[in-house]
Amino acid sequence: MGALGRVFLRSMFLQAAWNPRGMQNLGFADAISPALAELYPDPVERAKAVARHLEFFNCHPYLAAAILGGAVRLEERVANGEAPPQIVSSFKSALGPPFAALGDGFFWLALRPVAALAAAATQPFLGMGCVLVFLVLYNAVHLPVRLWLFATGYLRAEGVVDAVARAHMASGTPFLKACGAALAGAVAARGILHAGIPGRPFAALLVASMIVLAWATVPRLGATRAVYIALGVGLVVGARFL
Amino acid sequence: MLPLPAGGAPHLFVLMVIAALLGGLSAIERKGAFQVMLSRPIVLAPLLGWAMGDAQGGLVLGIPLELLFLGGVNLGGSLPDNESLLAGALTAMVVPAGLATRTGVDGPLAALGLALLLPLALFGRRLDRASEERNTQLLEEALSRAARGDPSAARVNLRGLLLPFGAAAGICALGVLASPLVALARLNCGALALAALEGSWHVVWAVAAACAVRAIRDPRAPALAAICAVTVVAITLAFRGLR
Repeated sequence: MGALGRVFLRSMFLQAAWNPRGMQNLGFADAISPALAELYPDPVERAKAVARHLEFFNCHPYLAAAILGGAVRLEERVANGEAPPQIVSSFKSALGPPFAALGDGFFWLALRPVAALAAAATQPFLGMGCVLVFLVLYNAVHLPVRLWLFATGYLRAEGVVDAVARAHMASGTPFLKACGAALAGAVAARGILHAGIPGRPFAALLVASMIVLAWATVPRLGATRAVYIALGVGLVVGARFL
Repeated sequence: MLPLPAGGAPHLFVLMVIAALLGGLSAIERKGAFQVMLSRPIVLAPLLGWAMGDAQGGLVLGIPLELLFLGGVNLGGSLPDNESLLAGALTAMVVPAGLATRTGVDGPLAALGLALLLPLALFGRRLDRASEERNTQLLEEALSRAARGDPSAARVNLRGLLLPFGAAAGICALGVLASPLVALARLNCGALALAALEGSWHVVWAVAAACAVRAIRDPRAPALAAICAVTVVAITLAFRGLR
């Protein structure tokens, strides 16, 4: 495998040694090392380059692939003496925060919950197949995007900002979230029907009102306390279920 | 005599090894490697359940756990509750218990297990914080190695995976070890206790659904969810009634 392939593979371990001081710095330096090995044959020069990449770095773990690809391209320029080493550092620190926000909003707050809700909503029909629904929905977007980001970063360097902006990743988010909300409703309906069928309208009503009550109080209670209260309430009224 | 899965103590030991391995790997996959979502409860619980002999039982646990922790995200330095550790340990404890009681994972067993292990989600978050603090030592080692001219200084990166693996593996193995006690408790439940626990599981599902609606951070979400829920309930009742 070429150096670029090894860099991409190692980018999968970007957060292996996430630490409060440098955040993803160790992962970034480790990932870019195979490229540095080709660019700086002299071990002392290479160690200096690695040390430069041990500076603070943080981004979304997927979007970081674009920055990693771009950094490899910029390191080529630095190694050829076309640019000063600071150019790599400024590139990383300028793109880290905006790309992090983009990745958090799209992958963590939209795609992942929606894919999981799609799986939960289809479980009554698909059974175990719902696990595949989740994994395929999520990774059919995640893996190609991650590869595309890395390739575009390497090919375009600073131009990756334009390419990512034109991909309109954020514009799909409201639609995804609307799907997620509808699916969450379907999942709630399933909980109500599961408690109510066969012939237990009281249980169905109870679960429906618990959903509304929990929705209103969960932000204040936190999940742990809410679940313990639920377990307690369930115990008390559950004796009437059978 | 404690209730054990068919195959007795040797089989329980095999299950401990399976749970340790998959639980440990999930702790790595969750943040340190790949992040293809194999460590989410909706995948990990049925996967571990399948490896231990009851995939369906794992799925019974995985879906409500996934919904409960759907809104937890790792933004920058802030850590969410560790849903993977809870899912791994709960599956490791409840699936073998269901094999031992020959009931499979039912509502009462799931509610009993969740009541016992729920604090693991918060504990796991503390564990994550501690292992990240410890990674600072790896950073210092890398910095000093790079300063000495070592070009492979950043390879210490992968050593950050060891502690999360070990901690989760140990906790999941303990889950299997505790399973006979849970099975014993389940077998000693009378009809009233079983009904009460079944009720608990239904209400946990209700909280999970509420958390799922909350996880969609959008002002339209509650209204959309409510409309969809009412529609689904109405259509189902129109076609099949409450029978």
